[in-house]
Amino acid sequence: MRLRFLIGIIISFIIIGIAGFVQAEVIANFVDKINPFEKLELAGYLKNETAFGFQRDNNDGLQKFKNVFDLKGNYKLNDSVEFYTDINYWYDAVYDIDDRYDSIPKKDRSVLVTPEDKYILKELYMDVLTDSVDLRLGKQYVVWGTTDGVRILDLVNPLDLREWTLKEFSDLRIPLWMLKAEGSITKNGGLQLLVIPDYEPNYYSPAGAPFALRSTIIGAEGAASPFVNVRTIDNKPERTLEDSKVGLRWRDVIETGMFSGLEYTLNYLHTYDSAAAYYVSTAPGFPVPIKLTRNAEQIEVWGGSFAKTITKGLAGDFGKGWTLRGEFAYITNGAMNYGTDRNIVSTVDVDQYNYAFGFDKTFLTNWQFSTQFIQMIARATEDFDHSKYTLLFGPTRGPLDKIENMLSLKVSTDFIHERLKPEVLVLYGDDNDWRLAPKISFEVNDNLIVAGGLNIFYGKEQQMNGQFDDQDQIFIETKYSW
Amino acid sequence: MKKFILLILSMLLVSGYALASELEYYKVYKPKEGMTADQIMEIKYQNKYSLFAQDYKLSKCTILYVEKNGFTQKKEAIRERIVLGGKNGVSYKDVIVLTEPTQAKGLAVLTWTYEDPARDQDTWLWIPSLKKVRKISASESDDSFMGSDFTVEEVSTRKLGDETYKLIGEKNFEGYTFEYTGEVKYKGTPCFVIEATPVKSPWYYSKRIVWIDKATGGNIFDEYYDANGKLFKTLFREWNIYKPENKGYPKQDALECKDLRSGHRTVILNQDEAYDIGLSERDFTEKTLERSKW
Repeated sequence: MRLRFLIGIIISFIIIGIAGFVQAEVIANFVDKINPFEKLELAGYLKNETAFGFQRDNNDGLQKFKNVFDLKGNYKLNDSVEFYTDINYWYDAVYDIDDRYDSIPKKDRSVLVTPEDKYILKELYMDVLTDSVDLRLGKQYVVWGTTDGVRILDLVNPLDLREWTLKEFSDLRIPLWMLKAEGSITKNGGLQLLVIPDYEPNYYSPAGAPFALRSTIIGAEGAASPFVNVRTIDNKPERTLEDSKVGLRWRDVIETGMFSGLEYTLNYLHTYDSAAAYYVSTAPGFPVPIKLTRNAEQIEVWGGSFAKTITKGLAGDFGKGWTLRGEFAYITNGAMNYGTDRNIVSTVDVDQYNYAFGFDKTFLTNWQFSTQFIQMIARATEDFDHSKYTLLFGPTRGPLDKIENMLSLKVSTDFIHERLKPEVLVLYGDDNDWRLAPKISFEVNDNLIVAGGLNIFYGKEQQMNGQFDDQDQIFIETKYSW
Repeated sequence: MKKFILLILSMLLVSGYALASELEYYKVYKPKEGMTADQIMEIKYQNKYSLFAQDYKLSKCTILYVEKNGFTQKKEAIRERIVLGGKNGVSYKDVIVLTEPTQAKGLAVLTWTYEDPARDQDTWLWIPSLKKVRKISASESDDSFMGSDFTVEEVSTRKLGDETYKLIGEKNFEGYTFEYTGEVKYKGTPCFVIEATPVKSPWYYSKRIVWIDKATGGNIFDEYYDANGKLFKTLFREWNIYKPENKGYPKQDALECKDLRSGHRTVILNQDEAYDIGLSERDFTEKTLERSKW
């Protein structure tokens, strides 16, 4: 434990040290020299992420001291066939050096300290590229939709939510083994087919970790009671062709007429819900035996998206330069818990109608404004007593509104030849639920970026951001790429 | 009222037509004695966007950002362009992919540029950290191009109708010391000298003096003046004729833009260019951007 911590400290110093003194070209030349394959291209980075909590009670202090090593390689066999991999390993020393986290069982803590074996290999795939069809076979990510930071159609890969959604989206998604085939049908349009014989649930923090969901904490409190005996069973699809997920996406860009420049997609996904629903059953006895079944529900997603930049003013130059984005998803056969705040009564089938609209525009030379409106509607398709109970919001086990509204605003700009980049992200939920995230990054040289910022949460504990009201943090990141 | 609206619409149509280039695609033009400033500038734009060729591939483009104290940063990119000659209203499509440095590697931009001079480009961006293609608003024309001393319009969006032109005369160029190599370039080269005044006002420059090389029709030197008439920026371009094919295509091999206020300069070096290599329009779609891995 002490040794790993020591390694963590050493890596941090190495990142800062080599960044200050060694030009990346030296490292790149060295790598080229030792690389035995002419067609193999290598790149990577070392990164330190450190975060401190500064809010209330006992939650102030170190939240994260994470060192990341990443290595990417691309082997180009010929113009049509390439192999790519991304290996990523990290060590978060905070769980070894801070005794506040000793309450987390060792097994649960291990997945916070280092990645699971299967997750070290982030991507590994083969590309076969032809004029008419692109095939990508292997472990990979697929991203659908046009919104930023919100999952409406973007349901192909599950999420690693162990640091809630604070990480970069590239680190947030969990890769899956799949086949992606994209065929060109029209000049700008094509059909994408996904066959995914792989399943991972979303990853969540165990109770006691800084960003453990409220529902996890409530569950752990219940399990710790001497009067109950909880047995959890996970029902999830096998990694077989029979249980494969299937996705289809048609995408095109209209080139002529009044909708010229309009990009649109039509999407269908036959999948299993990554946020597995809980089914609770009890039996007589003492301590009371409770069987908790986490069921990866088989769901169908129908939807579409669009994006259009107004390239010609609507009247004069009015409206010119605005980009309008949107997406819609109708999700059937899902399941949600219902009950009262903190308490699950049972589980019902649910259909969801989720959509979002976004508007982007650059003002005053280089100030980018990006705003989104998101609405999520969940409707139970089975009956329950609505006078007593409501559907429950999965991450908090708090009451879910019939219609949840959210707004997001991101403002960003740059100075000093794009080396200094400040930005601020504001997320607002309609129950006075907030997240405010200012960030500033500075490119010290071609290889070193330092960044710092805040994540401030506000709201009721039943809400998405409010549940982390006491986890406000300040963070610094140092990333050295070569 | 109806008549008034019709009058406004017809004025817009006429002005739009007047602003469009009258040169034909896929032809090389050279400026000649007796041409107007507008005609010479039309040729300059034909050359700038290589509208004389079917397509264009730049296998290595190096961008150097040099501060006054010598501190230098570097980006590298590859670029492909297909000239569509106005098919479906599209003039050309363009893809730029960053290959260096690692932290920006894989960032790719697809733009469609339309014939209609009143219409902005459509732009898509592949963002490696998000692993997705994002439709984005076109950058403001006076914004810095990728953090350089060039503005966006100087590199990719300025059109014939964005300025009015006056032929000042014909002179031999005094020569420019290209700081990257220390060589003196174009000394004594015969040029047309044109004063260009932006239509937008106020704008980041009040006028620029453009030196057009008579041999290639390329603008070898631009002087930018601020609202007080003070020179604040210079922009040098080295034009050569594409070889080995003897098509007479003018190409830009090197550019240097100096901000005289800050002492910062940007150098762009275009290496390994090729024309008419048979690129397909299908290479200029989001699917192509999604091939990016980094």
